[in-house]
Amino acid sequence: MSIHFKNVNYIYQQATPFEQQALFDISLTIPSGSYTAIIGHTGSGKSTLLQHLNGLLKPTSGQITIEKQIITPTTKNKALSSLRKQVGIVFQFPEAQLFEETVLKDIAFGPKNFGSSEQEATQLARQMAHLVNLPEELLEKSPFELSGGQMRRVAIAGILAMEPQVLVLDEPTAGLDPRGRTEIMEIFQALRIKQHLTIILVTHQMDDVARYANHVIVLEKGRLLASGTPTEIFSDPEWLRTHHLALPQAARFASALQKKSGFEFSKMPLTEEELANQLVEQLGKRG
Amino acid sequence: MNKIILGRYIPGGASFVHRLDPRSKLILSFFFIVVIFFANNVQSYLLLGVFTLFCVYLSKISLAFFIKGVRPLIWLILFTVVLQIFFTRGGQVYWQFGPFSVTHFGLVNGGFVFCRFVLIIFMSTLLTLTTAPLEIASALEALMLPLKKFKVPVYEISLMISIALRFVPTLMDETEKIMNAQRSRGVNFGEGSLIKQLKAVVPLLIPLFVGAFNRAEDLATAMEARGYRGGEGRTKYRVHFWKRRDTLSCVLFGLLTLLLLFLRNW
Repeated sequence: MSIHFKNVNYIYQQATPFEQQALFDISLTIPSGSYTAIIGHTGSGKSTLLQHLNGLLKPTSGQITIEKQIITPTTKNKALSSLRKQVGIVFQFPEAQLFEETVLKDIAFGPKNFGSSEQEATQLARQMAHLVNLPEELLEKSPFELSGGQMRRVAIAGILAMEPQVLVLDEPTAGLDPRGRTEIMEIFQALRIKQHLTIILVTHQMDDVARYANHVIVLEKGRLLASGTPTEIFSDPEWLRTHHLALPQAARFASALQKKSGFEFSKMPLTEEELANQLVEQLGKRG
Repeated sequence: MNKIILGRYIPGGASFVHRLDPRSKLILSFFFIVVIFFANNVQSYLLLGVFTLFCVYLSKISLAFFIKGVRPLIWLILFTVVLQIFFTRGGQVYWQFGPFSVTHFGLVNGGFVFCRFVLIIFMSTLLTLTTAPLEIASALEALMLPLKKFKVPVYEISLMISIALRFVPTLMDETEKIMNAQRSRGVNFGEGSLIKQLKAVVPLLIPLFVGAFNRAEDLATAMEARGYRGGEGRTKYRVHFWKRRDTLSCVLFGLLTLLLLFLRNW
């Protein structure tokens, strides 16, 4: 499912003294099947933007096209409910949305809302719990007895159970330990490859952007600053610095090495693998 | 959720009303609400109306804002006014049908009730718009201090009030967030039959309560870790100063009351 924003503006609490514009004239395209990362400072409008993706917010002006559905300021809420099934959003700290008596019921809640039968929904829930590595014995427990990391998995499974075609992730690994982090990121990656999902990731982790994304959107103060491949976005360290964005660790190391020892990289390495490969190649040449 | 004006604070005012001592603001707005009930004819209501508008002018906040504050209550107000109009007897009868009748007294009374509501809402909106919630809480504590003699746990009450006020916006944000999360999972709030609507509230209320319990526990731990042991022997950071403008406003309210008593028919 490809997504197009055309001149989208969004104003919070319009026509009150608290009025505040969060998005300014955003036009962008998220290609179908892409892994798009949205980066930018806190308060740059990332979260506002992602709430537009399934119609939780409607643009104040402009228009959004998601596959065939067009969202304009006057679109009725009724028309949006099918969109919510197609675009699943994992919000920041999604464990706050758990409420059912058992983990299984909670995961099955989404599919049931979209018309699955009890049996189908439970079966889907089991499948998704397995997918996010939740042990079988937890399924009949209350979600409130689990650890923070397990709760996060339950919440994510609850979104995946709706079988969305677009998966929107708002800092899905915030507050997790390093191991849980890689595990969850790898689950998303595997899903994308297996089921051809479009993934939209909002994050501050540049390493994740470099490792997984193939399309990057940079926001600043509600405006679209740049969009392109990670290589394009991370190619100019100076530009990143002026906009208070960080480089991935491998790139930081590479540019420091370049400065110190005159080591020449043919292409800025973004991940550890790329860095290692280039180092081996160059050292091999030197003999 | 964002349409509620009552109970909101607009910062950044250097206006006369903004800079008043919160204690005097609190007393005077209570006092004003009592005074409103003394008014009983057109002249006295006119006086109170003009005075209220004067206060609004002093606060430098646009009048449209106050009118918005009345809007959520308009149905309650109209309901009361209509009851007054239909069921008050006396004076010239304009229209009658069974137990219903529109009389001269009824119309006048209805008008007065309407004015009373609007004036009370304006004044209390003025108080909350110009006073930060924590200031209201500390003013309440200062005003309740005499009750300590009667074994009222003044300190605990004011602590609870200030914590409650502090967490109102946080809980509102959280409500909004959970609502959005559940909407994304296919819950439609405020749609369908009454039972359906009530059922839709469960996925919102349970996480909200659980969140509040967790937050209370964290807050209590954090308070203890910072050496909190209860009200006894604490010093205050927020100290109130009674200034000349506070005395001035008290005098103004006194004059208003005198004038009102004079205008009112005994």
